[in-house]
Amino acid sequence: MIVRDVICPFCGCLCDDLEIECEGGKIVKVQNGCALAEATFISDTRLPAPIRRTETGWEEISYDEAIKETAEILQDADRPLLYGWSSTHGEAQSVGVHIAERIGAVIDNTSTVCHGPSILAIQEVGHPGCTLGQVKNRADVIIYWGCNPIEAHPRHMSRYTTYATGFFVPDAQRERTVIVVDTRRTDTAGIADEFVQVEHGGDYAVLSALRAIVRGKESVIPAKVAGVAKEQLIRIAEICKNAKFGAIFFGLGLTMSRGKYKNVRNAIELTDALNRHTKFVISPLRGHGNVYGSNEVFTWMTGYPFAVDFARGIAFYNPGETTAVDILRRGECDAALIVASDPGANFPRAAAAHLAKIPTVIIDPHVNATTALSRIHIPCTAAGIDAAGTAYRMDGVPIRLKKVIDRGYPDDAEILKKIYDHLNGGKDL
Amino acid sequence: MKCVLNTGRSVPQGAAVEHKGTDAYRSVASACFLNPIDLMMLGIENGERVRVTTPAGHIVLTACPAEGVTRGECFVTIGPYANHIITSETHGTGMPDFKSQQVDVEPTGEPLKSVGELMEEIGGLRYDRA
Repeated sequence: MIVRDVICPFCGCLCDDLEIECEGGKIVKVQNGCALAEATFISDTRLPAPIRRTETGWEEISYDEAIKETAEILQDADRPLLYGWSSTHGEAQSVGVHIAERIGAVIDNTSTVCHGPSILAIQEVGHPGCTLGQVKNRADVIIYWGCNPIEAHPRHMSRYTTYATGFFVPDAQRERTVIVVDTRRTDTAGIADEFVQVEHGGDYAVLSALRAIVRGKESVIPAKVAGVAKEQLIRIAEICKNAKFGAIFFGLGLTMSRGKYKNVRNAIELTDALNRHTKFVISPLRGHGNVYGSNEVFTWMTGYPFAVDFARGIAFYNPGETTAVDILRRGECDAALIVASDPGANFPRAAAAHLAKIPTVIIDPHVNATTALSRIHIPCTAAGIDAAGTAYRMDGVPIRLKKVIDRGYPDDAEILKKIYDHLNGGKDL
Repeated sequence: MKCVLNTGRSVPQGAAVEHKGTDAYRSVASACFLNPIDLMMLGIENGERVRVTTPAGHIVLTACPAEGVTRGECFVTIGPYANHIITSETHGTGMPDFKSQQVDVEPTGEPLKSVGELMEEIGGLRYDRA
């Protein structure tokens, strides 16, 4: 059987044109997808049943037992942390927020170690963005700043930018100018019309220099800014000012390097300055399939996009204090529920180590590094493979993920709902 | 040799990300890309081991030459190997220094650890199903 128009749940592109061939309850072929999509659908090895850590190893337990014990762990905790959420659908994320509110927990999602700083910048100066469809059909200048879509979002360039035929850009390869700004000469840099190689930690200075040039103050710019020649900066500014429609996409090269959210703020302010000359937009390249959805769901339910602390009975938000890495590094939480993510692999060691010191439960389809740090691992469906649900693409467009096959696992939203019911004295959500 | 540790994604890392117990993931996540001149300065060849140290600890990685990496930089894909040595300070932002950690790189003969071993070092217990 071939299922058409399948959405790949792996990265924030949420490509919606995949064709998946199933045979005997297994996915055997993926068409139109990138290497990441193929691995996501075909090499999908799951944990077979819930497991609990014992003194010497692991034992299989029933779903009912695992759910009851998880609820007890959360009920007994003074400062529980609920973390993850970016690789599942909005339906599960919303139950997570209800649990957090019910038990006074901190709930945080993976944007905290991804585009959290971008959100902080957007909260300061706004977000002049647009949908990817607008970029595809209109943009004649594309800037990839501190990101490497060939490796992280392999079809971004073919679906929306460099190689995508657009309504007003019929000959994309000839008509679109692609500028890449990075500290490394990546594969993406290799196909750029202009590659701007910035010294480590120099993004803020280069963005400031471009802003100055765009505002007609090029005389104040020295011969070199963070390793970039003034001539190149002037050339880039001219390309941008002469664009019919320009689009900046930025990655973790801005959010994780020195300056963090201030880098992103400066990039947004450059976009603002360019809008005095032409139309320019800016958007983050979001990593996980539904990380944008976790920000949306958290925001419409609590008012805040990540790092939400319900300890006071109301939603409180203070990144740097209520963010997962900080709470773990301070050894503050006394229980953790991890959903659809792997902080064991993706958090600095000191933060990950605290997960092993407290009762940690993970709900995730796959065995990952966090499994080893947990007391209980409950396997579930993978959104977009054997569960349907809503996910938000990197440009904020909600897309319905399809259920392609049935593998006999319970949906994580269903598991979370049962945990909520336990916590709520058996009363329904 | 003093370097700045830069981390990021790659296609092989993404393709193996749900198989962290496998050799394929280990070889992707433990590769340390250095400028070929820096590799020469360290006196090591492609595939030899380096010990990378920060105030948070040290880790053994496999050195690989990469023309695109500037001198004084080392690139490791995001994952448990890089995170083993990244400090957890977030400077009030929630975001650790995943792309600007100062490190010291030196040749070593020590063996690579598996992801399971790294997790056991911090109090975990491997569940060996790749």
